[in-house]
Amino acid sequence: MDRRTFVKAGCISSASLLIEGLDPMVRADTAQPPVPPIELHGLPGYKPSSLGLPGLFPGRVVEVRDPAAIVHNRVSQPVVRRLLDQAMKELTGEGSGAAAWAKFVEPTDIVGIKINPSGAPACCSSPEIIREIISGVQSVGVPARNIVVYDRYSYEIDIGSYQALLPPGIRIVGIQEAFAAGGEYEPNVYCDASFFGEWETRSYMANIVTHEVTKIINVPTMKDHSASGVTGALKNLAYGTFNNVARTHRAPYTFTNPVIGLMCTVEPLRSKSVLHIMDGMRQVWHGGPLTQVQDFIDQSGILLVATDPVAMDTVELEAIEKKRQDKGAPSLWQQDPKSITSNSEEFYHDASKNLFFRQPGHIAAAGRLGLGVADLKQIDHRRLAA
Amino acid sequence: MKKETAQRPHSADWPTLLKDNARSGGQAQRAVHAPERALWQYRAGGSARSSPILFEGILFVTSVNGMLHAIDAATGLAKWKFRADAQVHSTPSLSADRVLFGCDDGKVYAVDRHAGMKVWETSAGAEVWASPVSCNGVVFFGSADAKVYAVDAASGRARWVRELGGRIYSTIYATEQHLYVGCGDARVYCLEAASGKVVWSTPTGNGIDSSPAVAGGLVLIGSEDFFFYAMDANTGEVRWKYETGLGIASSPAVSGDLTIVGSKDGFLYALETQTGHLRWKAAAGELVTAPAVIGEGIVCIQSGGTLAFDLATGKLVWRAALGGSLQSVPVLAGDTIYLASLGGEIYALQ
Repeated sequence: MDRRTFVKAGCISSASLLIEGLDPMVRADTAQPPVPPIELHGLPGYKPSSLGLPGLFPGRVVEVRDPAAIVHNRVSQPVVRRLLDQAMKELTGEGSGAAAWAKFVEPTDIVGIKINPSGAPACCSSPEIIREIISGVQSVGVPARNIVVYDRYSYEIDIGSYQALLPPGIRIVGIQEAFAAGGEYEPNVYCDASFFGEWETRSYMANIVTHEVTKIINVPTMKDHSASGVTGALKNLAYGTFNNVARTHRAPYTFTNPVIGLMCTVEPLRSKSVLHIMDGMRQVWHGGPLTQVQDFIDQSGILLVATDPVAMDTVELEAIEKKRQDKGAPSLWQQDPKSITSNSEEFYHDASKNLFFRQPGHIAAAGRLGLGVADLKQIDHRRLAA
Repeated sequence: MKKETAQRPHSADWPTLLKDNARSGGQAQRAVHAPERALWQYRAGGSARSSPILFEGILFVTSVNGMLHAIDAATGLAKWKFRADAQVHSTPSLSADRVLFGCDDGKVYAVDRHAGMKVWETSAGAEVWASPVSCNGVVFFGSADAKVYAVDAASGRARWVRELGGRIYSTIYATEQHLYVGCGDARVYCLEAASGKVVWSTPTGNGIDSSPAVAGGLVLIGSEDFFFYAMDANTGEVRWKYETGLGIASSPAVSGDLTIVGSKDGFLYALETQTGHLRWKAAAGELVTAPAVIGEGIVCIQSGGTLAFDLATGKLVWRAALGGSLQSVPVLAGDTIYLASLGGEIYALQ
């Protein structure tokens, strides 16, 4: 069995497990189409790293929270500096911030910081947090020229004004100019599947991940996602690294489960993704990932730090689920056809409506692929006082 | 202030960002009516993230794929194209017979406006997204390397370089004596035009992506700290500031006693220039990062499409579903509006 056959077989097996894991009522009412065969092709000959997913601290998630971290929608630079330092030391057990960062990066690394600017300006990876991450990476001895802040769409980076707000010397890269535009992708590293009969069945990995950076620090935001349930560490990596991923959705159905997890297994993305810092300064509990409606955005002042994206996203999922419960909104797991709308305005202004049958099960599916711990009881969730 | 363009200015000419060094595209009263038809459409072959300029019937526009296009404004046909070595986000600017623009590899090019041939190039240490500004034979521009450069307009040779505290994406406002610019280090700077010496700098609460206007002795500029500032042009003292709902990357338009600025919160704000009092506030529908321009009784902005609001009341007058750019400024020339879009189409609307 060659690697291609093996991966294909493995994926089909995983996908079958996922379908079986859904509630029977869900299957009956929503008639989610079956997961098609999915082929994954990693970078040939790439040697996996022990720092790769789930990383040095499987199952551990450090949560720090301070209401002063965000006041009147402005993120406080000094407060997030303190929170990040505190969280990094707690995650690693090191006595200093510099020692904590040195667990993940070396002076010779080319460090990619994967931001999430979709949803800007209302909710995106805060430039204030990115500045502190840059400072942490530089404390290890990585020069500014070897730090790259990147995402797929340069126009979303522009909306966030990252180019003006980050320190001089670092590179800021948008892989693609716009939604339909081309970009820099590796033709030999891809995910191949036909979900809805689309003519282009491949999603390719970005060159910046395959060839340029040696380490990735992933900075997702804390958001509801109309298709995947939440968008967190896993989705920020997967759908921010591969192109042509919108084809996995056709309302009201989506194959984010299992595609998100599967994409995260592809090398070298898996090995290079060494640390995840979730920006929960703002918490979008409905309308994600693009909403600009402030009614659904809480200013929570939370930061999560982990090497295990599955554990991190599990904690995130619980937080968003609880927030929705508190607000009287339906569960992210709800699969009621009556909640589905094709009217995006209705979706953006009514928390009981959605465009897709959400698939928060993508997180547990990623756990079953060995990317981390999805069982809350097994997650070492450390909450630190401000 | 001395205009740098050597040619006799024509009323329709628009040779630099917001028409001229005084940014009068944001301060003049020009007749603009709701567009009824597209005169022509030009495909730039790459996303346009900058604003077109217009001079003697030729529209100059850059596209991100490294091209500077010279387009016949009457027909929409290419006169010539010039290819730079890297991506281009900079709005071009005219200096004598040269079209100037910055590039993502740090180069600033001067290209002959008739032949499309390079006259000179100079290099900064990082990308130049701001539009070069030409005044008194000197070209000024800021770069992401945190430096402001002054080079000779004829040769491109360096006059001086001044390092500031952060990345510079703000286009400099130049007068004979002084330069005003916003910076990523959260400060607004006033520099001596002759030497680059810092005359004053005033802090805001976050980095600055917006380009300033100067009117009534005030430097008017927005910050990512959500505030719009009016600073004394001589001292930098904050005379007033107005809080919007999110960061401000848009540059202001000034007309009479009114300053119009857009915010990422999706609103246009009309503020009294001398006091900062709100005259009106209008929803643009989407976030606003592009600068506004003022026509006869209206203010125009690109936000999703191209929108025109009544200058006195803020009421939406018309909307054209074209030119949904994030940064580009429409050029208002007589009865024609020229637009560049994110998708790379350039339109002439009548």
